[in-house]
Amino acid sequence: MSNDERGSFGIHGTGDTSGYGGLVRNQVSPGSTERPFGGYFDQVTDDLERAYPDFADAIERIVVDRGELTLHIKRERLVDVALILRDRLKFENCLGVSGVHYPADTNRELHAVYPLLSMTNNQRIRLEVSVPDSDPHIPSLVEVWAGNNWNERETFDMFGIIFDGHPGLTRILMPDDWQGHPQRKDYALGGIPVEHKGATTPPPNERRSYK
Amino acid sequence: MTGTSNPYIPILVIGAIGLGFALFSVGISLLTGPARYNRAKLDAYECGIEPSPQAAEGGRFPVKYFLTAMLFIIFDIEIVFLYPWAVTFDQLGLFGLVEMGIFIATVFVAYTYVWRRGGLEWD
Amino acid sequence: MGLEEKLPSGFLLTSVEKLAGYMRKNSLWPATFGLACCAIEMMAAGAGRYDLARFGMEVFRASPRQADLMIVAGRVSNKMAPVLRQIYDQMAAPKWVIAMGACASSGGMFNNYAIVQGVDHVVPVDIYLPGCPPRPEMLMDAILKLHDQIYVEKLGPNRELVIKNVEAAALAALPTHQMKGLLA
Repeated sequence: MSNDERGSFGIHGTGDTSGYGGLVRNQVSPGSTERPFGGYFDQVTDDLERAYPDFADAIERIVVDRGELTLHIKRERLVDVALILRDRLKFENCLGVSGVHYPADTNRELHAVYPLLSMTNNQRIRLEVSVPDSDPHIPSLVEVWAGNNWNERETFDMFGIIFDGHPGLTRILMPDDWQGHPQRKDYALGGIPVEHKGATTPPPNERRSYK
Repeated sequence: MTGTSNPYIPILVIGAIGLGFALFSVGISLLTGPARYNRAKLDAYECGIEPSPQAAEGGRFPVKYFLTAMLFIIFDIEIVFLYPWAVTFDQLGLFGLVEMGIFIATVFVAYTYVWRRGGLEWD
Repeated sequence: MGLEEKLPSGFLLTSVEKLAGYMRKNSLWPATFGLACCAIEMMAAGAGRYDLARFGMEVFRASPRQADLMIVAGRVSNKMAPVLRQIYDQMAAPKWVIAMGACASSGGMFNNYAIVQGVDHVVPVDIYLPGCPPRPEMLMDAILKLHDQIYVEKLGPNRELVIKNVEAAALAALPTHQMKGLLA
């Protein structure tokens, strides 16, 4: 927790008045939660453990935070666990892949998050996979949930996570020959200064403090 | 003037007016209007993106388009034969019914063949 | 052949200019280029209450070959820019462009890597229409101003004269960053 508060109006430090720098809060990552989890989370983890004997080896940690269950999985076991979840535990619906970039977390910079929904049991869980920036490969879940096709392309485009086994992993939002992955934390905003009569307004991430 | 003139004269007049209008429109747009050359105007229109590869040189189209067109022709001709039968159904009686039944059965055999051989699968 | 551009300057050319201007402004057909939120307002302008059909413009042509006005309604991303240019190129002359909304005029609120900061980087624009989104009445006002512009457009040698004068004036004019506005 640094003393340098960045972010809102009238705050010294970087002098950023737009709020673009983002508030810096004391981000404590919730560690592994102990049982009992509460609600249907116990039942889901028990079923998963019974259906998948290598459970303890595959799951890095289980986090129950703010009423939501997140299973952190090793990327080598991702497809097996996903198949078990879809077939045995009836999580038919995967709501896509989201990418997250934690530049400060060496060797676990890029995360891919899969929210799963079971309509038969009315349950929601989340799978999270962490990969280092030097080797950003995750097995593709297109054969498990076909709807993940374009979502994985988007995560590749925005974060650079390469999904092995994807039938056609190309850029989807940016032009095909774009260099860089825009949603990473170290990617510049790319704004240009705005020309008015007699003055120029810099882009939001470069504005000075008006103090 | 007393009603003995050819009843098809008005149709001819309308046809001539239509043809004249079309020729006038094409002709006037050839004469007036700026003519600015732009290479993009010669491209096929495909919503602004590069047109997908044309089958111009080898004439290689996916065969499913040809099959669909052929099947449409055959069954359309069958329907063309069915229309007059429907109009004169009473006069033709039982003989017509049996004969048209044999006709439809013959085409149905061809249809079953196409169906079982996978000709109706698009992908 | 463009016969009307080959007439010599004089009374005949002026009459033809007025006639051609009147015809062209009253028969504009827009091309559908609704990209984002401004497209909704463009649709509202074409619908019942704010009627574009009173100008004969309710037919939004899908094919650029049949259109002569391109209303760029919405933000143009870097991926869309070549598509925009291709559609503009495939339109037949005479053609006009209205940049509808803040994003089409200048990039709007999106000053980042993904959005083209004003479609005049890609196509020549005749009318810039601010707003986020501009109300349908504002779009109709822009169309009426464009009608006035089209009515007085010159042809042939008069047009070349106008182009020469406009270019000379633009070269001699004060650049924007040297003007004194409210922020200086």
